[in-house]
Amino acid sequence: MNIDGNENEAKLKILSSSSDEGCATFSISEEDHTLANALRYMIMKNPKVEYCGYSIPHPTEAKVNIRVQTSEETTAVEAMNKGLDDLIELCEHILVEYNEKLDLKNYKYDEGVFDTENKA
Amino acid sequence: MSSQFYGDLRTQSPQRITYICGDCGVENEIRAKEPIRCRDCGHRIMYKKRTKRMVQFEAR
Amino acid sequence: MTDLELLKNRVVLESDRVYSVSSMDVPGTYPGVDDTWDIERFKKTFKVVISELTKGNIEFDLIGIDASIANAFRRILIAEVPSMAIEDVFILNNTSIMHDEVLAHRLGLIPIKADPNDFSFRWETAQKNGNTQGPTDADTIVFKLQVKCTNKKGAPKDDSLEPSELYDNSSVYSGQMIWSPQGRQEEFFKNSPPRPVYDDILITKLRPNQEIDLELHCVKGIGKDHAKFSPVATASYRLLPDIIITKPILGKDAEKFQKCFPEGVVEVFVNKDGEKEARVVNPRKDTVSRECLRHAEFKDKVKLTRVRDHFIFNVESVGAIPPQRLLPDAVKVLIEKCKVLKRSLAQINQAN
Repeated sequence: MNIDGNENEAKLKILSSSSDEGCATFSISEEDHTLANALRYMIMKNPKVEYCGYSIPHPTEAKVNIRVQTSEETTAVEAMNKGLDDLIELCEHILVEYNEKLDLKNYKYDEGVFDTENKA
Repeated sequence: MSSQFYGDLRTQSPQRITYICGDCGVENEIRAKEPIRCRDCGHRIMYKKRTKRMVQFEAR
Repeated sequence: MTDLELLKNRVVLESDRVYSVSSMDVPGTYPGVDDTWDIERFKKTFKVVISELTKGNIEFDLIGIDASIANAFRRILIAEVPSMAIEDVFILNNTSIMHDEVLAHRLGLIPIKADPNDFSFRWETAQKNGNTQGPTDADTIVFKLQVKCTNKKGAPKDDSLEPSELYDNSSVYSGQMIWSPQGRQEEFFKNSPPRPVYDDILITKLRPNQEIDLELHCVKGIGKDHAKFSPVATASYRLLPDIIITKPILGKDAEKFQKCFPEGVVEVFVNKDGEKEARVVNPRKDTVSRECLRHAEFKDKVKLTRVRDHFIFNVESVGAIPPQRLLPDAVKVLIEKCKVLKRSLAQINQAN
């Protein structure tokens, strides 16, 4: 979802390609702490990842660098993929749980709040 | 070049432009080469009316 | 609570500093503890508790997630959940005192009750149709605002009367905006026409013979672009406070202790020795002002902490989107961000 609609900048770039597949720095454009911190947390939850951190090279430029260093058991790209999958998994479960609790209606609510509910 | 496009406009549009008096707000018709003076109160500062053209703004 | 448990689960607040703030649930931090990401373990520990839902506000708890995720949701709620707002103002006539650009700015901030999911972004329809089209019925809502102020018939020429008594339409309200359906919109929105959320927002004031004649185009946008697109009045969270009394607080101290907290947090009861003692009953109500740490009598008998993974969200909707739908929308935005990244990653992998 590119708000400026600029297709010039690739969403994801890999800087610092080395022969060692266990380390990589990913540069993501049009992102900020919102996604980067959450993604960093999920990647760190992977025991095969030795190091994961993110930085914003310049505050006025919407770019995030995420650095991943893994043990020999996996590659950085795999770790990034797994981190994204895990984050999606977590979000989908939060959605399910939230909607379940919302339907229970065992909380204080105003009457008429659920009228004109088109989508959940 | 300009007369091609605007020539017709000039002959069509009246030379009579109404101005608004600065004091009393009454509309006066002032033609070219006429002394500028309000009909009613004699005030000598006239304001032009707002353009009839549509203007577009960004609501930001 | 042992010191290790304290460090693992709590943020500790002392009178001059706050420690144990960062989450340490990275695999390998604690020997014998498995902090690896496991969806099944997460499903067991994660809980959602909804406390209150009003027409404009929702308060709910997310228990068992990390601060980075909770913060991501908060940031998305404020800046990346889309909504509709007026973007282009076409002024055919404005003889009021208010300048065109000021009027346009005020109009932009009026919340519009239209479901953003029914519309697409301007750049989305442009992509589909090859960047040549102007506004379409799939991405724009058109309103007309035409108001002329006149003298009220038969009103006395009394200066002391209110303008509303002397003139018709001396104040222009958002309720006077009229929806002008385009293309398929007439049929699609038959039962729920787009309109401003509130009818009584004062836009501008007029006097006799002043008029405004405007055409307003609303588009879909996100708060990151301009704050008028933010669907929340505000979205915030706090961590659940946890007050731990390490040594019993008795007698007069107990009553003083109770007064250090908001009403209902601490209650004084009579213990089995017949003495008054203080105990914590409702830490949720506490605002953690640390007042109790200012008094020597009990500042060493109490530990003020917050539970690090218990987030109490308070989300107030502007009115366009019902409050209970805001969090699901935010979560979907985060999922979409991840999917976009995955696609880019796959593209790079293919290229190699």
